[in-house]
Amino acid sequence: MLQSFPFNYRRIILWIGRLVLGAIFVYAGFAKLLMPNTHLWPMFFLKFSVSTNLTMFQQQVESYKMLSPAAAGLLAHTLPFVEIVVGLMLVVGWGLRIWASVVTLIMVGFLGVVTRAYLLHMDINCGCFGTPEKLTGMTVVRDASFSALAVLMTCFAFIEARKPHPWNAATPEHSTGPHANQTVSS
Amino acid sequence: MNRRLSTVSASLLTVLACGTLLRAVPPNQNAQTKTTAAKRAAPPKAPEAPAVSTATISVNGVTDIDPTKAFGSKTAPVVVEIYSDFQCPACKQLFLNTTQKVMDNYVNTGKIYLVHRDFPLPMHAYSRVAASYSRAAAHIGKCEAVEMVLFQNQEKWETNGDVKGIVAGVLSPAEMKKVQAIVDAKTLEPMIEKDKQLGLTLPVTQTPTSVFHTKGQNYPYAGTLSYDVLKEFLDQLIAQK
Repeated sequence: MLQSFPFNYRRIILWIGRLVLGAIFVYAGFAKLLMPNTHLWPMFFLKFSVSTNLTMFQQQVESYKMLSPAAAGLLAHTLPFVEIVVGLMLVVGWGLRIWASVVTLIMVGFLGVVTRAYLLHMDINCGCFGTPEKLTGMTVVRDASFSALAVLMTCFAFIEARKPHPWNAATPEHSTGPHANQTVSS
Repeated sequence: MNRRLSTVSASLLTVLACGTLLRAVPPNQNAQTKTTAAKRAAPPKAPEAPAVSTATISVNGVTDIDPTKAFGSKTAPVVVEIYSDFQCPACKQLFLNTTQKVMDNYVNTGKIYLVHRDFPLPMHAYSRVAASYSRAAAHIGKCEAVEMVLFQNQEKWETNGDVKGIVAGVLSPAEMKKVQAIVDAKTLEPMIEKDKQLGLTLPVTQTPTSVFHTKGQNYPYAGTLSYDVLKEFLDQLIAQK
């Protein structure tokens, strides 16, 4: 019975990782575009809101003092869109190994940057979710948790991809399903 | 013999008592000394603050505007309030890079009525002092000069708190005396507090925050605004029918 059950601990963690990290990335991307200034209509208000929010995010990236202003500007204007795409692909589950790897790289990168800022006692905003949020020890812990989940999810995605699905791998003598009495033709 | 001795002793005692009484200082003289000493100890009276008006005005539905901290035509189609803190780096960036151009191209041409609101943040030790000096300077007609020098020299006075020295650099001695008297009298503190309370009702959660008022609606925008993006927005806002 358990052998035909499609969920093992690896698949459970994969599902949790996909849903949790996918949702967080989509939310983070939209939050950077639409927060804290969230005037959506008419269209020129929306455009102005997105511009001001991205400018604010650029300032938050520059406050880490790791990139030049030009590089910070490029990152600030592309990262939100990357987060939305990656998050959606993770939730959908298509090309899981690729997108899980991308998410892991991004999360580990975030963790490194945030940890560096924390150890240097930098009094700055995290810039993670659009609204001003002080960078504290909890930010490091949060990012570490998400990074650990991302790493596990990626590893298990690769492991599970090598194995056939338990339903496809079930043999007749051990199966209790509807095809239990059928013989397997070579 | 004994009678003679006692008489002599009594006489001597009387003479001594009279002499003591004659040598004592009279009460009037003591009081005068005390008054002089008291006068010497009291600090000199502070010069009286010049009379300043704390009256506010309303423009296009925006109330409690200090007319000395507002610029432009009252008939402008758009009113922009800027909540800022003199010790905030982003506010400095907005003021030096964006507000000046807005003043030249929109305020002075009657398209926008610009209102400066003070929003001193609690974590900035000297921002309220800077706001007091700026407000006092505004009431003697020196708002722009003092705001400019405060923002330009933000890094200097935020470390040592010498707001007075920075402000004195752009005012004449007579003007500085007036400003100092207003600051010391704390006459304009309620106006700064009123601006703060207005911001909290919006709510203003960070500085700078710009609030655009048009056609009965208000649109708060937090953060620094680049002039190029703001220009496009203002043109479309003003052109709205």
